[in-house]
Amino acid sequence: MKTVLKTGLIALWLSLGTAWSAPITFNTALPVHEGGYVLREQLVFMKIGDDPTPAGREMEVTGLVSVLGYGLSRDLALFGMLPYLDKRLDMEMSGQDITRSKQGFGDLTLLGRYTAYEYNAPGRTLRIAPFLGVKAPTGDDTARDRLGRLPPQVQPGSGSWDALVGAVLTWQTLDFQIDSQVSYKANREANGFEAGDVAAIDASLQYRLWPRSLGAGVPAFFYGVLEANLVHSAKDRSGGVDDPNSGGTTLFITPGLQYVTRKWIVEAGVQVPVIQNLRGTALESEYVLTAGFRINF
Amino acid sequence: MKRTLQIVVLAIGLTLGMVPAMAAPQAYKLRVDGLSCPFCAYGIEKKLGAVKGVQRIEVDIASGTVAVTMAEGATLDEAAARKAVDEAGFSLRSLEQAPAVPQSTLREEAK
Repeated sequence: MKTVLKTGLIALWLSLGTAWSAPITFNTALPVHEGGYVLREQLVFMKIGDDPTPAGREMEVTGLVSVLGYGLSRDLALFGMLPYLDKRLDMEMSGQDITRSKQGFGDLTLLGRYTAYEYNAPGRTLRIAPFLGVKAPTGDDTARDRLGRLPPQVQPGSGSWDALVGAVLTWQTLDFQIDSQVSYKANREANGFEAGDVAAIDASLQYRLWPRSLGAGVPAFFYGVLEANLVHSAKDRSGGVDDPNSGGTTLFITPGLQYVTRKWIVEAGVQVPVIQNLRGTALESEYVLTAGFRINF
Repeated sequence: MKRTLQIVVLAIGLTLGMVPAMAAPQAYKLRVDGLSCPFCAYGIEKKLGAVKGVQRIEVDIASGTVAVTMAEGATLDEAAARKAVDEAGFSLRSLEQAPAVPQSTLREEAK
């Protein structure tokens, strides 16, 4: 279960820099103008289940993810992400249905992205931007209910300082945009638990469906979006021992839509796992719904 | 005397005729590379709008151009325009002066 939740939540971390006309589930290399801000609000609903054990575990996570980006210079942008999470775990124990849940702010992630390569031509741009981030343990990781301390996957925070590193490539033209990203998240131990590290490769195509031909000025674009996320999680460690029911690889496909204007963007997508190769009794992701907006100012 | 009067009248007429032309705001056409989506246009507008003397900005993403109209008596320095475009995250390919916009046109548009 921890693995699947972690795999699902990686979408939140990877979308951290996505404050521009960009992929729905991960980052972009497009610029934030110097001194400018971009704000993104994203509502995410994640359903996890298909438990092979008699416990019949099911989990739902609803998150409101706020991302604020600031253009420190033309090439360096800083992003901060803070999720508000509502987590709910349903399971059967000794013939009784049990629900364990917790709501609250999660961990704050800060990320810096630097445009290392840039090629601009009329109506197109190519950019490559490495990024480096840190996740601070701002969320509650010691929450309890009547059954005792909540398991790590239900806690809003992880309790650990984690690092995130990667690079994103963006090729944007007037007709379409392609983004591709590689990333690695190194998780550290907290409260005797260490989530396995996560590596991901992502790709996104945004194709202008409307208007078919461009008029004068700055017309709004309606994009069709297709994304793929290949996410691999290492085994979790609990009490210094590898958890055999954790870790694995998932391939998500995300069809979506975006409406892009000069001041704001609205978007929605559904992340569907098409391949899940998970270890042991780890729960499988069923789907992740994402809807949100972005504004620049 | 009659000839002198004719010259004076002609000079006054020419001067009065030139005043509107001299007062017409300067306009420029900027070609910007890398500008390829609506969301990107805002940064260009904001940065160029902060340049002293800029009165109006019109972005055309299909042609990758930005039309800039200056306030009366102001001119657009290429270095300032290049800096603004650069800070927006794009590249200035060229800047050329466009035909001056009649003041009356701006007043009509402002209404």
